[in-house]
Formats: sequence, C-alpha cells, structure tokens
Amino acid sequence: MSVEPTQFINLSPTYRLQWEEAQDMFVLLYPEGLVELNQSSSEILQLCKDDNKLSDIVTALEEKFSCTGLEPDIINFLNTALDNGWITQKA
Amino acid sequence: MAGSLKKPSPPRWLLAELTYACPLQCPYCSNPIDYANINSELSTDDWKRVLKQSREMGAVQLGFSGGEPLTRKDLTELVSYSHDLGYYTNLITSGYNMDEAKIIELKEAGLDHIQVSIQASSKELNDFIAGTKSFEHKKNVAQLIKKHGYPMVLCVVLHRENIHQMTEILEMAIELGADFVELANTQYYGWAHHNRDQLMPTQQQLNDAEVIANEYQASQKGKMKIYYVVPDYYEGRPKACMNGWGTTFLTIAPDGLALPCHSARQLPNFDCPNVNDFSIQEIWNESKAFNYFRGDDWMKEPCRTCKDKDKDFGGCHCQAFLLTGDAHNADPVCNLSPLHHTVTDAIANAEQPSEQALLFRNSKNSKLLNN
Repeated sequence: MSVEPTQFINLSPTYRLQWEEAQDMFVLLYPEGLVELNQSSSEILQLCKDDNKLSDIVTALEEKFSCTGLEPDIINFLNTALDNGWITQKA
Repeated sequence: MAGSLKKPSPPRWLLAELTYACPLQCPYCSNPIDYANINSELSTDDWKRVLKQSREMGAVQLGFSGGEPLTRKDLTELVSYSHDLGYYTNLITSGYNMDEAKIIELKEAGLDHIQVSIQASSKELNDFIAGTKSFEHKKNVAQLIKKHGYPMVLCVVLHRENIHQMTEILEMAIELGADFVELANTQYYGWAHHNRDQLMPTQQQLNDAEVIANEYQASQKGKMKIYYVVPDYYEGRPKACMNGWGTTFLTIAPDGLALPCHSARQLPNFDCPNVNDFSIQEIWNESKAFNYFRGDDWMKEPCRTCKDKDKDFGGCHCQAFLLTGDAHNADPVCNLSPLHHTVTDAIANAEQPSEQALLFRNSKNSKLLNN
C-alpha cells in the first residue's frame, strides 16, 4: 500500500499513541503489542489525525523544524505505517 | 556479577496472573502442574500496589490472565485502576461465564482489548479439548465483544488434534470479525509438557498448516492480521525467549511470586522473589532471579562463543531445564546444542500416535501428579 496525496490520514482506531515518561519516548500501543518510536516517527504519527492529508503533515513538520525536503522521508514512513495497519487513509 | 552490570532496561510488559482458578481443563495449559497446591492469592490492595509500582518503572502493556481472570470478583476494579494509571489493558480470557453486562462494565472501566481463546472450529472438538461445554457460548461472547467496539484477538492453540482444522478456524475468525488471530502452536511447558507426546503434530501436519496460514495472511491483508507462531521444536534455532531475560517482561503469579518468564517458577533453587516481601523496583533491579540470565556471563558453550548469542540469548532457559535438566545449557531446540537430539527424538516419536490418553488440567489431576 502507498499513501495517496488526496486522502485523509488518521491513526487506526485499534492503536493508541502515548507519551511514556519513564522511557522518555512515544509508544504505539495495540492489542498485546508495543512499538517504541524514535522522534521522527512519533512526530509524523502525532499528525495522523483530524483528517490531515500528506501535504498538511509535510507542511506542519517543515514549519516546526524550519526545513524543507522532508516529503520523501515522510512518505516512506507513512507507507510502512499503512502496511503495518497503524494508520488508515480514506477519501 | 552485581556491579559489573549496567542498569537493566525497565519492564514494559506486565502479565498479571490473577488466579489459577479456571473452569476449563485444557491439556496444554501453561500453568504449573502443581498449581492445585498453590492456594494463596494476592488481595486487591496487593495487586494495586504491584500495578502502581510497575507502571512507575515503565510497564505500559498489561495482560490480565490466569487461570481465568473473570473468576476474580475485583477484575473490573483492577481494570479501572490500571486504566487510570495509563496502562494499555488486555484481558486474556476463555470467555466462559462472560455475559453482555460484564463486557459493558469492563468497557466502561477502560478495558482496551479482549483476547478470547477458542479450542477448535467444531463444537465437538472444542468442548473435548476444553474439558467443558463452551463452544457456542464462546462464539456468542466473541460477537458481543465486537458489538461493543473492542478490538478482538482470537487465540487458538494448535496441536495434533486440531491443526487439521486450520481452514475452518480461519473462516470462523473471519465470520466472528476478529481483528487479529493468533494461531499459536503449543509450547511444551507445564501441562503441555506432560502431554507432549499426545499433542505434538507431525511434520506433515505442520507443513500443511503453514501453507494455509500463508494463504490467509495474503488474502486477509489489511483486514485481519494473522500471527502464525511456528513451534520452536521444528525451527532448528531457538527463540529469543522473553526478548531476553529480565529486559522487558514481568509476570506476577497469583500468589505474588515475581517471574522473569511465566514458566520460571519450575526452575529449581531459583528463589523467585515475592511481591509480599519486596517492591517491584527491588525485584526488577536487584533480585538474584531477575539478574540470573541477564547479559551473557552465565553462558556455557556452544552459546558463549556463538555469533547469534546477542540475537537469541541462548533461547529458553525453562526449556533447557525441562529437556536437559540444566537451565544453563543451550536451549536444545538449537541445532548447535549437543543435546539437540532430545528435540529431534520427540519429533520422530510424533510420527506415531501416542497410546496414552491426554491428561486434563484440573485440580484432581494436579494433586495426583504432585503427591
């Protein structure tokens, strides 16, 4: 599966994104599962909500980190997230 | 050993075995075969202390298990307390005696997910393996779980008697609307080890099952996630048991014994600490049991110089003990183990059906075996 620029991207309802103080990181929680996220993954996943599109996510992160050219990396991660069922996209 | 170790990583998974009581009698149960002699159970307040201390250390995935956790009257209270602490809460249940009111009550308490086990795809075989009439009720419970918006894992333990039902089992999972299916080949600990000769599938049965699992994994992609757990006996290389001893998992048994793995209480002279005597922090960081197999100082050959020692950590120590009598040995599942024949012999034996009847897990049999 690959991410479509026109579609809305949200976290899958069976997954929960949560900040873990003890480990100083975000984790993704789901039935009997736990993914420990690095900073870039967690920054992207935090924006997979409110019917954001790919361009919203790219713009928000490029603004936040005052840089450009993030789109290829973001697409790569979102494709992985789609394959793992962490996020959904809909028209 | 102490002092030379860096601080261990914090526990992230807590398995709360609330009770050994269970209305089912599955002959592959992972509970200890002498469970009937272990009568004390932690109180509600004890469990709350354990939950709080574990959460403070970093545990975030929480499984309520047993036995049958629904037999504990304080289950909803413990779920609610855990939810407020920020755990992701999983209930691992047979579904037996669960009704819609309970499913709603637990949802309101903040339960995140329910895993229901079904023993087979047919009523006759399910009820035989479970030792209790439960098939229709379990299917009904599974439907109610979905109705009330929980994610659902359907767990089916596979063995010689039901592995031929793979297709029917997967069709049933689709029909019931499972989000995840765990097809777990039996692991031979506890009761399963006692019944091993009757439970082990033949190589041919396993090959057939794997083909079916792969087909459904492909056709259900994006709809239902299927985990097919290959039995380690047939793998040639050991599993990275518990993601490494004392690195990730913490099990608390019904009587308060803290275990680095849920089979560890069978290891002799191991002195597992009890939460009645120590805090979770003391147990995790300082106890002999939790430090025992951390790192690789404990290793003998062939593990000590093995290139894979940081990948599989020598495999499973409980299995090494069960099959070779010494938990320090390499897991004999490994084809580099000098005692690997203990596993290949068992596989060869499985080609012939065992004459022995299955011994069901119940208090009478537990006492029989341990007196």
